[in-house]
Amino acid sequence: MQTPLIIMLAVGLLLGFGAGYVMHRSDYCVAGMFRDLFLFRRTLLLKTLVLLVGLSLVLFELVRLSGLVTVPFPFFGPPSGVNLVGGFLFGIGMVLAGGCVVGTLYKLGAGRFPSLLALVGLIVGSTLYAFIHPAWAAFSRMFALPTKAVTLPQLLSLPPWLLTIPTGCLLLGCVVVWFRQGTLRQNGVVDGYLQPWQAALWLALIGTVSVLVLGMPMGITTSYSKAGAVALQAFSPELVAGIPYFQLQPLNYLPPLGGGPLTGGPGPALDGVALVQFPLIIGIAAGSALSALLLGEWRMHLRLPWRQVVSALLGGLLMGLASRMAPACNIWHLFGGLPILAMQSLLFLAGLLPGAWLGGLLLNRLVMPAVAE
Amino acid sequence: MSSTSCKQVDLRGQICPSTLLIALREVNSHKELLRSGEGCLVFLSDNRSSVTHISDAVSSMGYRVEVNKEEGHYRVAICGA
Repeated sequence: MQTPLIIMLAVGLLLGFGAGYVMHRSDYCVAGMFRDLFLFRRTLLLKTLVLLVGLSLVLFELVRLSGLVTVPFPFFGPPSGVNLVGGFLFGIGMVLAGGCVVGTLYKLGAGRFPSLLALVGLIVGSTLYAFIHPAWAAFSRMFALPTKAVTLPQLLSLPPWLLTIPTGCLLLGCVVVWFRQGTLRQNGVVDGYLQPWQAALWLALIGTVSVLVLGMPMGITTSYSKAGAVALQAFSPELVAGIPYFQLQPLNYLPPLGGGPLTGGPGPALDGVALVQFPLIIGIAAGSALSALLLGEWRMHLRLPWRQVVSALLGGLLMGLASRMAPACNIWHLFGGLPILAMQSLLFLAGLLPGAWLGGLLLNRLVMPAVAE
Repeated sequence: MSSTSCKQVDLRGQICPSTLLIALREVNSHKELLRSGEGCLVFLSDNRSSVTHISDAVSSMGYRVEVNKEEGHYRVAICGA
């Protein structure tokens, strides 16, 4: 393997590890941010997301101005109505699953059984998408917005810094006000607690290093389809070879560190997608596991009410399907797409909010017992 | 407070945010017992986020909350102010 690719692999592992550790310490659950806004009217975590996005807007723009990285990043494309629908379904799924795609990983790393169920659902849902891909792709083209622009600055034919830097500064200004009001902190009663605003700072830095070294923000969802393709291939290589979705190569770019073009897709091959995403996945779970072990909190309780078993499995499945339909997950769009003002990500967010609201309603009405069982 | 007047609810391993939802429902349905000072509620949870939120929410409702770490989980005791 070439040296730049080995560095990418090692850095991906380290970034994932750092993200997993930080997310466990502060329980930085993005699904929880949106769910708790509607279920408990809690806004603290969402305010820290504003900090994360605001800081990333500035940092990503500085990286782009350095000329080291091309924006928009790989995988991003022109907007379509399906981004909105995908975000909506993803919002329902992440609330029912008890965590988003990355949340499921760090919670699983810390030994949470519902997250293991959600992961199974995620892989099944991401794999099922392969069978509906031709119809969904046609649907996506039908509802494509009338533009080839990927980001808002491209749409408005403006230099990106003219929109990203003022937007970032405006968001950071809000954060300063909240900080002064004391609404960005909460009383940590658990061991080794990291304030969520500190986690947001770390995650913005991790995202920036990811952009610098990997050439794109953190994203992992294509790998779930890949995992499903590998499992299917073990049973029937002919079936996998005959499914058009598994032959796609949506990743095709020049990594910043060199080493030539990197390509990859959701098929079972160990390709560029595996190189970029697998280390992140392993790192997130391992970082969280180490954090939990150091605190003496790693335990897996297998006893779970049946309603929650169904919720985790179905939520994971819906989230897996939606992450392919959107395409991509909340971490990709919120941590990586919003900071470059990608229109796909703005539509995803617009769908995610009502999705999280409906997910919370379903969870409260159908999954939760009236009193403790 | 005698241990016989305490109701213990084991919420370890549950999906987010059931720990918090169940704890809040339990607190609401045992309001009078808690206010009278004749009883308390104890929740066992391994969910770091829920432990923080329960403590925060129940304190703001005027109850006394005590959080202690036990083997691999937290014990959240709630009693009247």
